Order: sequence, then structure tokens, then C-alpha cells
Amino acid sequence: MNNSLIIGQYVPGNSLIHRLDPRTKITVIFFFVFIVFFANNVVSYSILTLFAIACIVTSRVPIRFIAKGLTPVWFLIIFTFILHLIVTKEGTVLLEILGFKIYSGGVIQGFAISMRFFLLILVTSLLTLTTTPIEITDAIEEMLHPLKKLKFPVHELALMMSISLRFIPTLMQETEKISKAQASRGVDFKTGPIKERIKAIVPLLIPLFISAFKRAEELAMAMEARGYQGGEGRTKLRELKIEKRDMLIFVLFVFVIAGLFYFRSW
Amino acid sequence: MMENKNYSSSRLFKLIILSLLGTISLVLFFLNFPLPFLPSYLKIDFSDVPALMASLIFSPMAGVIVVAIKNVLYLAISGAGDPIGVIANFLAGAMFVIPVSMLYHRFKGVKSVVSGLVTGTLIMAVGMSVLNYFIILPAYGKFMGWDMTEQFKWFSVYAGVLPFNIIKGIIVGLLFVPLFIKMKSWIEQKQMKAAA
Repeated sequence: MNNSLIIGQYVPGNSLIHRLDPRTKITVIFFFVFIVFFANNVVSYSILTLFAIACIVTSRVPIRFIAKGLTPVWFLIIFTFILHLIVTKEGTVLLEILGFKIYSGGVIQGFAISMRFFLLILVTSLLTLTTTPIEITDAIEEMLHPLKKLKFPVHELALMMSISLRFIPTLMQETEKISKAQASRGVDFKTGPIKERIKAIVPLLIPLFISAFKRAEELAMAMEARGYQGGEGRTKLRELKIEKRDMLIFVLFVFVIAGLFYFRSW
Repeated sequence: MMENKNYSSSRLFKLIILSLLGTISLVLFFLNFPLPFLPSYLKIDFSDVPALMASLIFSPMAGVIVVAIKNVLYLAISGAGDPIGVIANFLAGAMFVIPVSMLYHRFKGVKSVVSGLVTGTLIMAVGMSVLNYFIILPAYGKFMGWDMTEQFKWFSVYAGVLPFNIIKGIIVGLLFVPLFIKMKSWIEQKQMKAAA
């Protein structure tokens, strides 16, 4: 089964980017996604591209992992580029193929928008490449902390997320085990008419649901036996801490934003 | 048994079971199979089945929570490359699950589940068409810098979103009805336990 589901896309490492506080990474990426839309000339795009490349180089994530993350969107990027080539009719005619005129404006705009999309995917995938899902959950819990005042169940949300993440491998193994057990009894999941294939899934789901309830009862009991009583006054196994390196990245990123707004054409 | 004033055991159990159902939902989400006659990005999966289960045993809200967990997990694992798609998936799941659960809790029995699935499919198909036309497709347009023409939007709704959601509802229903018939007494037993 899909191995990437168990650990996500995470590539273990000890680089500066890996060691950054997950909150720093999420904040920077959030603003990056936002400011990409403000880039509108060569210099502003270059600043953002340089920043993205610098992040990738310092993360020391092998290029092939990054390329793997991009595979599903290559098509969209190329499609967008071609669409702009055909649709935009500004500037001078550069080329004429089979009656289609390709304008310089189309090339520029197609390139700019593909670049924007490319940068977005690159930087957001860097988050999941260098941060484990559990770190992301911890960061979300910390960042949503102010919402507690509005009675938003922040702790419960984080608890549910960590339980879910913890049980992904377990439940995947179980699904695989049950489907193999069914297959050994002659159930065919892969061929036959669609209706039969759908019916074959029923005996796969029933034991999955029943065992999930058993597991939940056991886990609830185990947690209560250890004195779990909600988030109040609970201490943490993994503490998040903002370090010097986080401040450094923030300062650097502020310079990137300032540079972008200084050099973009208004 | 000692009753904690902030926390009851049934609440903790509910939190845990909804998380586990969310995980099952995610696992089923990755076992999707594309249909031969639809474009590859429209994929049928059974990730709504655990949400339906939760919504029948507990409440419509429980079903929505399971759909939400699946989507948040998906975001945390795969990164935020396609936030609009994740939000769309959440809304579709919620629109499908809520009617089934409401009709079931009102009338009980197999018939209410079947009529709920039909209603849910229609609400999801129509709701997603409207959302796609007015919000999701224009949002993608902004995101990708495409000009969404009226024609293109109508075409993708009529030829893509609407039939896809109807087919998805039918297929999930074809799985869920026999599942429900087999697990009916178990579901009722769990309901009593949850209510107690």
C-alpha cells in the first residue's frame, strides 16, 4: 500500500530548515503564499525565487524528493503556460505557427503565472518535506491557542489530530490484513462488474469499524486510568521553543517582503 | 465511578472514536479508484462511509467532524498545495452526510437511510454545482490566472461536477445500504451505549 501515507512526505534530516520551529515555518509559508501574488516584474519574481532556492538548498532535501512532490502539478503548470500563450494577445507577434500567433505578452504572462504557481507549490511542499505531521499538529495547537477564549476546543482538536495520525499505520496494516484475509477466502476486489466490486468492500469495512470501536474503548479507559482530564494543566512531551535561528529567518523574511514591495512596479 | 467535572468518559470516548473513524476515512480516501469515463482528477472513494457511520451512531455533527478530520489530516500529510480542493471536499462530504443523518434520526430504519442517501446525493450534487460555478472555479481561476469564461464554467459544471457527484453518491450508497443492513443491530447497540 501507499507508503507515503504513513510518514507523509517527510524526509528526515538535521538541517537548519528541519530544526526551525514549525510555527516559524508555517507563518513564513503563510505570508509567502500571500505575497507571491504581489510579484509583478522580473526583480520581484527573482527575489522570491532566490528566497525559495535558498530555503531548498539549506534544507538539504534531495532534489528528487522535491521533484516527486511536483509531479501531480507539472501538467497544470504547463497547461496554464500554453493557455496564456494562446489567449493573451498583447505585445508584438513573436512567432506564427499554423495560423496561431504567439505574442510576447502571452509568453511573459504565461511565464509569470506558471512561475507563481511553481513557487507556491515549491515552498508549501518544503513544509511537509521538512516537518513531521505531528510537529505540524503541535504548531497548529499553539497557534490556535488564542481561540480558546472564544470556547473553540483547541486542545480537543489537537488531541484528535495526534490520535488520528498515530493510528494511520495501525489502521492501514489492519485494512491490508483484512483484505488479504478476504482475498484468501476468494473475494475478488480488482475484477468483475463495478457492483460486485463495491459489494466486496462490505466485509472489509465491518471488521474495521468494530475493531475501531474496541480500540477506542480501550484507549479511553487507558487514558482515564492515567488521569487524563482534558487540556487544563497538562504538560507536554514535545515543547516548542522559538530560538535564535527562528528570529534570523523572520528578519530575513521581512527583508524579502520589503525588497519585494520596493522593487515591484506599482 | 468518579465523575470528573470537566470531562466525562463518554466525551473522551467520542473524541477518540471520531479520530479513529477519521483515520479510516483517510485510509479509504487513498484507496480511491478513478472511473473509466470521468477525468482522472475526479476520483471516487469511500471516505464518506466512516463519516456516515459516525453520523448515524452519534449525530450529524459527528459525521461532519469525521469529514473535517480526514481533510485536516490530508492537509498535514500532503502539504497545502491545493487548499481549495480540500475545502471543496469537506463541503461535499458535509452536504452528503448531514441529510442522511437527519432523516435517519427522525424516522429510523433502512428506508430512511435509503431516502437520506438519495436526498444527500441530490443536495451534494446541486450544492457542489452551485459552489463550483460561483466560488470554487472562479477561485481556481484567480489562483492560476485563468480567465474563467461563462462557457467553461457551465461546461465543467454540467459535464464534470454534476454527473460526478451523482455517480459518487450512487456508488457510496450502493456500498452503504448493504453495510447498514448487516450492521443495523450493532449500530443500534452502539447508539444506546452512546446515549447512556
